[in-house]
Amino acid sequence: MCQQNPGETVRIVPGAEEAHRKVIFVLSTGKSNSKMEQTSDEIDEMFSNLLGEMDMLTQSLEVETFQLSSPKESTKEFNFSVGFKDLNGLVTMEQQEAQAKTDKIKLALEKLKEAKVKKLVVKVHMNDNSTKSLMVDERQVARDVLDNLFEKTHCDCKVDWCLYEVYPELQIERFFEDHENVVEVLSDWTRDSENKMLFLEKNEKYAVFKNPQNFYLANKGKNESKEMNEKNKEALLEESFCGASVIVPELEAALYLKEDGKKSWKRRYFLLRASGIYYVPKGKTKTSRDLACFIQFENVNIYYGTQYRVKYKAPTDHCFVLKHPQIQKESQYIKYLCCDDQWTLHQWVTGIRIAKYGKTLYDNYKRAVQRAGLAARWTSLGIVEPAVSTGSSSTGAAQANGQIHHASKEFSEAPKQAEIAKEKRPNVVNNSSSAQPVIRPQKPEAKQALQPPPPPQRRSSATVSSPCLPSKAKRGSTASLSDPISFPAPPPDMGSDLPPPPPDFYEPPPDFVPPPPPSFSNSTGDLAPPLPPPPPPPPASVTSKPLPLTRKPGPPAPKRQENTGQVGETKSTGVEGGQLDFMSDLRKALNKKRGDNTS
Amino acid sequence: MPPHFSDSPEATACYRMLSLSQAGPSPETVMKSPRPGSLVEKGQINSRWLDSSLSLMTQDVQKDDELWLRFKYYTFFDLDPQYDTVRMTQLYEQARWALLLEETDCTEEETVLFAALQYHIEKLSLSTDPTDPSGDAPTLDDLDSALSSLEVKLEGGTAPTDMLENLTAIPELRETLRVFRPRKLTLKGFKPHWVVFKETSLSCYRSPEEALGEPVQQLNLKGCEVVPDVNLSGGKFCIKLLVPSREGMSEVHLRCEDEKQYARWMGACRLAARGRTMADSTYRAEVQNILTFLQQQRAGSTSGPTPSPSPAPDGAGPTWLFPPRYQKRFKPKQLTPRVLEAYQNVAQLSLTEAKMRFLKAWQALPDFGITYFVVRFKGSRRDEVLGIAPGRLLRIDLAVGDVVKTWRFSSMRQWNVNWDSRQVAIEFDEHINVAFAVVSAGCKVLHEFLGGYIFLSTRARPGPGPGPVPDEQLFHKLTGGHEAL
Repeated sequence: MCQQNPGETVRIVPGAEEAHRKVIFVLSTGKSNSKMEQTSDEIDEMFSNLLGEMDMLTQSLEVETFQLSSPKESTKEFNFSVGFKDLNGLVTMEQQEAQAKTDKIKLALEKLKEAKVKKLVVKVHMNDNSTKSLMVDERQVARDVLDNLFEKTHCDCKVDWCLYEVYPELQIERFFEDHENVVEVLSDWTRDSENKMLFLEKNEKYAVFKNPQNFYLANKGKNESKEMNEKNKEALLEESFCGASVIVPELEAALYLKEDGKKSWKRRYFLLRASGIYYVPKGKTKTSRDLACFIQFENVNIYYGTQYRVKYKAPTDHCFVLKHPQIQKESQYIKYLCCDDQWTLHQWVTGIRIAKYGKTLYDNYKRAVQRAGLAARWTSLGIVEPAVSTGSSSTGAAQANGQIHHASKEFSEAPKQAEIAKEKRPNVVNNSSSAQPVIRPQKPEAKQALQPPPPPQRRSSATVSSPCLPSKAKRGSTASLSDPISFPAPPPDMGSDLPPPPPDFYEPPPDFVPPPPPSFSNSTGDLAPPLPPPPPPPPASVTSKPLPLTRKPGPPAPKRQENTGQVGETKSTGVEGGQLDFMSDLRKALNKKRGDNTS
Repeated sequence: MPPHFSDSPEATACYRMLSLSQAGPSPETVMKSPRPGSLVEKGQINSRWLDSSLSLMTQDVQKDDELWLRFKYYTFFDLDPQYDTVRMTQLYEQARWALLLEETDCTEEETVLFAALQYHIEKLSLSTDPTDPSGDAPTLDDLDSALSSLEVKLEGGTAPTDMLENLTAIPELRETLRVFRPRKLTLKGFKPHWVVFKETSLSCYRSPEEALGEPVQQLNLKGCEVVPDVNLSGGKFCIKLLVPSREGMSEVHLRCEDEKQYARWMGACRLAARGRTMADSTYRAEVQNILTFLQQQRAGSTSGPTPSPSPAPDGAGPTWLFPPRYQKRFKPKQLTPRVLEAYQNVAQLSLTEAKMRFLKAWQALPDFGITYFVVRFKGSRRDEVLGIAPGRLLRIDLAVGDVVKTWRFSSMRQWNVNWDSRQVAIEFDEHINVAFAVVSAGCKVLHEFLGGYIFLSTRARPGPGPGPVPDEQLFHKLTGGHEAL
């Protein structure tokens, strides 16, 4: 089995080898940056990673190379032909060739861009304390990630769902705006960050579009919410967001400002304008010319501050924070403001978002509504299809986003597979299984231990910290031992993986899986189609419907363990730079092994 | 060009004239022009609108009389710079004067942005023809330019290594600069360092010899704030960098010897802050813009090509870009670096973009588009101010200037005018009735504003291309008053 992979590499064109080397390099640096406590087992493990990686690349390149040779090669070829032509002076030929060359180069440059795409394995916390890992690539915005999550969680796809970042250290949190690039935001987090990404519903996110009158027509100082008919709402939104420039709600209030480096809070009169937040200096009036600029929004994000009464002795717990997204530690450059009540806070945060993002916010909302509507439609249509996919599911399972849809496998089969996987692995890489149990036991633990904010879990350090189970696993890496360990997990896992599936979700036949988005299949033998990194999210609820029941605890188990154990530092933060497609690669390798075993 | 402008050479000339923005006024003109000091004064001008349902002669306009042409309604329906160069330019002029004459109030920060945009527009107006759309030709995206440069290289038949280098090599800066890193409890002192600017990051070394080793400090400028700290007469060319990091911001000041060095480094910093390198095609323009700005400031401040060492009083400087209030508050040398800073953020805009940006920023001001009338509400004993803005009516306290109440056009049912008693009664949804007498202007003017905004709100949403022809009859019906009947 071990030999099989290298065997495949041989088939790769020279240029592809380059690519391999690159990947390997990235991997190893990632490794050396992580934990120093790595032993030779881990090197073995790493090796198996690489095998998986190469495996995948082989497949992708085999296909791609038909269309073009590697960039480097093509340019070389190019020069040769130019020299040749200079001698001959064939004009028409030259023109034709030049055209062909341009096309080639274009393709090559595009491929270069593609190859550079950065991907992260991200751990997203669900609102029931479970987590999901998914692959996010550099080009995906929060909307894409949400769509992926909709697919995985079979939730109702309502507009209120959002990605939510939480900084435990600073006690701040905020939702991602749908147009924000997720990888960009996450790459600001520190390596050992305790920051988390959540997937939850926040009605504040789009409240302004549901009831614009509460923000645009509210009487100063009054928090009553008014009714308005839909037509007027639309007109108001149209007026506020679709004019030549977006209208920022007029806000002014006395807020508390935390003084730099002190624990005291000073009351000042603040005003919101499109160009920033201003305050009225002492002894001045609130006319425009007298206002002093407090902050402009270009370089800062807005966050909610939580529990600031305790942390900073704030007058109330209704605080918001403005800081540069890159700042991760306490600093004088973070601005803390405190409002009298929740409603004022809500108005200010919303107003600032409108001032900062403008019409984009409205576009995001419209897209979210569209998405929610689409989902609703699909749910009503989806019942027809189930029969289609039973057989195909095992092949179509691995998505580029790192999620396995082992949907169609029967319950009884799942454990077996896991066993097989376990048995096989020791042959390939003696110790890879040692890493596996690490995460498994942690799940149930986490479940029991906490309900409120899950403690920052560091996956990697779990090896050290979760005492008994991992060690047990290490002692005996045989199948019989590791199996019981990994099995207790499934039942809770099952519950936790699906946030709130409406009861009727359980009704449709379980063994349906949507046609896989273009991605690698699990079966290694096939030529996989070229991989377009961000999988076009297939229509939501087609997938979401049937999956709940079929989501087997078994198959995902090895995958997740693999990922966490081997990557070694995919923490709860989930941010890991170079650790590309581990999950899917490993899965692939695993499946291959499985396949070999059964055949 | 719209068809009615291409009829005759005169019309064409007129079109060209109207699409050009005028040269900036001198600070004295602005200072001398009457500026409204209060809401009442702002309201006074509204008594002078001519009646749109009567001919000019009926209103006693004689030959050689001078009239002002102004946009009356502040909804710029369907403004598309492609079809509407004249309207855009004239709106820009109106906006600029409204700001310079303090008709629209704004804050210091906003004023600086407007000043920078004005400067930029002025500069571009001299060099580009606004009626020529090719002035705004889209720039090639980097893939295309990369390809074309690659092709040029290939045709030239240069050595392959050279070609690859040219494709990938990014220019660098390596010079000795005086560097200051503010820390707590350190005295201010610039020390010469060997500074290397590579891609988007900056590395400081003690000497060129040490450049192979570890830098004293290395900063990636992506996303950083770049603040110019320039004093022309003092010969000070400083760049302040505020670089965000995980722990907060690190601050570094770079001090350059002269304008040229400053422009080189500043350009690099600006681009790096936007995540681009000096290989970017805009780098040259960036540097050139900075140099031109500085030279113009100098020309404005002192005569002669070299800076005079004596602290000669700066002349105009950038003051003509500011309303008198700020001209008085700040010295020119205080304004210069601020305009420079804001200018760098807009210097890459085309003429059209810059004008549109100016209009947008103007429209985003809270005071934008409000037409004031002094009125007396029914049952009230004192004068108050009624503000009419696109989409809403405001009741404003005359003494404090606060908005007391807002009504929206969308909830307006009907309005009636009693021409004899100069009373206006408006009925809104939910049986809200408002009645007032107009004090500062004729009823007809106010009536035209109400009718005009209602008319504008009936127009369909703008689609691509020139909008539909407005229904003139409806307009007159809504604004005409009893004359129309």
